[in-house]
Amino acid sequence: MEAGKGCLALEKEVLNEGLCTSCGACVDICPYIKVVKDRVAVIEPCGIAEGKCYDFCPRTPTDIAALDRRIFGKERSDSSLGSYISIEMAQARDSEIRSRAQYGGVVSALLTYAMDLGEIGAAVLTRPFNGGLMPASMVAEESSQVVECAGSNYIASATLAGLNRAMKQPRDAVGVVSLPCQILALRKMQASKHETGAKGVKVVIGLFCTWALSYKGLYEFLRGKVGPSSIKRLDIPPPPANILVVDTGAGAMEFPLDDIRGFVKPTCGICFDMTSEFADISVGMVEGMEDWNTLIVRTPEAERLIEKAKADGIIETKPLEEAHLGHLREASLQKKTRAIGEIVKRTGDERDLLYLRLSDVERGKFL
Amino acid sequence: MSTLTIDQPGKSVLMMGNEAIARGAIEAGVDFCAAYPGTPSSEILESLARVAEHFGLYAEWSTNEMVSLEAAAAASLSGLRAIVAMKQNGVNVCSDFLMTVNLSGTKGGLVFVACDDPSAISSSNEQDSRNFARFADLPLLEPATFQEAKDMTKWAFELSEKLGLPCMMRSVTRLSHSRGNVKLAEIPERGRSARFEGVYIAGAFVAAQHSALHQKLEQAREEFEGSEFNWYVGPEEAKFVIVTSGSGWFYSREAVAALGLDAEVGILKLGTTWPLPERFIIRHLKQATEILIVEEIDPFLEQNIKVLLAEQAKTLGPIEVYGARSGHLPGFGDINQDKVAKALANIRGLEYRTRDEGYAKRASELALPSLPIRIPTFCAGCPHRASLWAIKAALKLDGRNGFVTGDIGCYALGAGPAGYFQLKTLHCMGAGTGLASGFGKLGQFGFDQPVVAVCGDSTFFHAAIPGLINARFNRSNVLMVVLDNGGTAMTGFQPHPSSGCDALGRPAPVVEIEEVCKAIGVEVRVRDPFEVDQAIEDLYDMLQDDGAKVMVFRRRCYLVEFKEKGKKKVFVDSEKCIGDDCGCARFCSRVFNCPGIIWDPEAKKAIIDDVVCTGCGVCATLCPMGAIVVEGG
Repeated sequence: MEAGKGCLALEKEVLNEGLCTSCGACVDICPYIKVVKDRVAVIEPCGIAEGKCYDFCPRTPTDIAALDRRIFGKERSDSSLGSYISIEMAQARDSEIRSRAQYGGVVSALLTYAMDLGEIGAAVLTRPFNGGLMPASMVAEESSQVVECAGSNYIASATLAGLNRAMKQPRDAVGVVSLPCQILALRKMQASKHETGAKGVKVVIGLFCTWALSYKGLYEFLRGKVGPSSIKRLDIPPPPANILVVDTGAGAMEFPLDDIRGFVKPTCGICFDMTSEFADISVGMVEGMEDWNTLIVRTPEAERLIEKAKADGIIETKPLEEAHLGHLREASLQKKTRAIGEIVKRTGDERDLLYLRLSDVERGKFL
Repeated sequence: MSTLTIDQPGKSVLMMGNEAIARGAIEAGVDFCAAYPGTPSSEILESLARVAEHFGLYAEWSTNEMVSLEAAAAASLSGLRAIVAMKQNGVNVCSDFLMTVNLSGTKGGLVFVACDDPSAISSSNEQDSRNFARFADLPLLEPATFQEAKDMTKWAFELSEKLGLPCMMRSVTRLSHSRGNVKLAEIPERGRSARFEGVYIAGAFVAAQHSALHQKLEQAREEFEGSEFNWYVGPEEAKFVIVTSGSGWFYSREAVAALGLDAEVGILKLGTTWPLPERFIIRHLKQATEILIVEEIDPFLEQNIKVLLAEQAKTLGPIEVYGARSGHLPGFGDINQDKVAKALANIRGLEYRTRDEGYAKRASELALPSLPIRIPTFCAGCPHRASLWAIKAALKLDGRNGFVTGDIGCYALGAGPAGYFQLKTLHCMGAGTGLASGFGKLGQFGFDQPVVAVCGDSTFFHAAIPGLINARFNRSNVLMVVLDNGGTAMTGFQPHPSSGCDALGRPAPVVEIEEVCKAIGVEVRVRDPFEVDQAIEDLYDMLQDDGAKVMVFRRRCYLVEFKEKGKKKVFVDSEKCIGDDCGCARFCSRVFNCPGIIWDPEAKKAIIDDVVCTGCGVCATLCPMGAIVVEGG
């Protein structure tokens, strides 16, 4: 990894450029960088020339091939979906979990199972609604707490700040559920020469993500229309619905997606990763099948866990139809192409892809 | 025992200038005392409050100086003797009432003490309050000695009653805050009862009232002509005369002695400086061809004397006047014996050196390098340090270049490194909120920066409420942060309306700041600034909403807290302290910078200075490594 810069560079290259993903990797590792809601700021420069913050950030230069080699032992063969062992459809067998989950409940079921098995001792998760619109990171110490974090919120929260806090007491087997940008940061933390609690993370479950919304934008949009503290569920159904569904205790309200798009974080426009390519396991929706998830297994350890979960009746899987796989690949590729286009628009130089360090061959595929 | 209760006439007692003023009021049989604290005036009311029960008099800390003067005037209008004391800024606050009570007149002796702070040792401005006496046509006295501080105060009550006007007395820091011998006089029996009769209205036939006021002032001048507080020392036929008042008296006397000019230079010392005792002055300047005017801050005496000299040009002939206008004395800042001696030597063509040049050089070589650099900072455990860190963080997170409008109190240090340079404006009591209410209305002109107004708890009651109401009424976007440390901390922790006790330390009704805010109709939150992360989040949230909002950061001044409740031991676990490394970079001793934390450059670890630390423990919550431990949690 390219390191050697500190928080002033982080501020200049990432925060001031609107590229911060609010992942929280740089938060709660020192007293100088704080997050409130999804806003991250360097409160005061610390004066350290080579800092963890710059090193961990998912928007500072990252050698993608080196990261692939480190996690998967090889460079990717699939340019649109990253390294993987299998892609299937899956759902939790427990209908109670499914009813609380956004789609098929695979993430909640797998984590609960991993904790019950003792594979992991705790899980760093995101509680989608924490008494308001803003999600909050949470450490599940008991498997029964996992399901509290079921469901999606389209605002990104500083999950890794929660990890940094949790890792202040030494732990060696932690599970993390995160968005693609957060997982990129997590992997950079694990690869870093710096000391970090991220090295104790054992299972990484990544979620599919197209983009995230800024808290302030959505808060101001919904203010006066919906009491933010009454929100129970947010959902963006697959195309062509083109709506955001806000479910409060009193019923669901629909808002055109076009009214919301302006609140998408600018950094999502340069994001290269829809399917959490650096996770052990990636989970997302299956178009048109509300009760199921797409499940991408990427590492041998993850494969072992999945096989065991299947054998123990925790999840069931079936093959993902070719058409669905095609759509997934297309969507992922589209995100990459759009991101590279946006980056080049920013830099004005096809060779300067900001944070993305790709080989000439890889880069050529998206230009 | 207080020096104010010693009932031994003729006894000589060492007294602080402010104590002597208070003793003078006691010897005048004062009934009613009111003040708002302010350096260098605070000890006047403190001394009187301490003996209030003993003498059966009334003493209060008022909400502000204007109210203190009005309350004292009520006692005067009811036939009682009353005194008010304030620092120079307070005179501005009560000037509106001052400029009308002069017209209505008063009844019982009303003495108005203004303590000026030359060089602004503990002030946001430097101001010569004597101008207000001339402005308001009120008689002005200037004590030069500790004895005079007492005796003049006593006489001021009599003069006030004789004229039916408040009598103004001007002290300065060097008199109020130093000590000297004072010979006591009798403490009279008091037995006045209060009754209001008559009419005291300013604004009816104003021109006639103004004219009558001028008559009273002429009457004052006549009184002054024979005043024992004006005197002349030196050769009868002196061609060179120093004219001085107040603190200038001692400086002038020492300067004349230092230059060996006793046989040539006379000193005309004036204790009654407005209106001038003209005949007395003319009498002593008849022989003079040159005069040097020595006074502190403005050339007030200088201008008035010059007017007199011009009027008396035929009688006195040409006299060369030296002072601030001639550049021999500064006309700002405090003066001292040295400055006066230099002026005198310069005029007289003499050589004067404070100290031998070789000695001066050697002294600075030896002394300066060994002095540690001391940056003005908050006390150890001061809640403002955490509050300002939270404000800085919230504004940085908000990211719209927000800024803080400041106010007067300990937290004014927030303009410097102690408060991370957060305060960007600083003027007078309440100005932060008033300014913020204006900034918060500039949106239509493209202004998009959030504005945070800080004010203290005492300042909130004193002057900030109208600004807050204005912000609410006019829909201004303002976040007011009340830094509530439980008292008027900067001047010595005097109580105020939400402190729960009065000037005598007795329990008092509490006016809750948040209840006042709620009644105004603004959102108000109360948080502990020592819960720093929560404080930052709340401030950030409040900055996102339009309108006027109030955050009350409530945490008692820790200097008071630990004296009452004992001190917890705080120490650094050096195994855990990572010092200069990434993840800390000496945050506690370098950035948060509480004077209770020091950096051990050899061990490269932070250590707690037990002598300075107050045991507040906020550093333990901020240490990223949990290396700072508070014993007993």
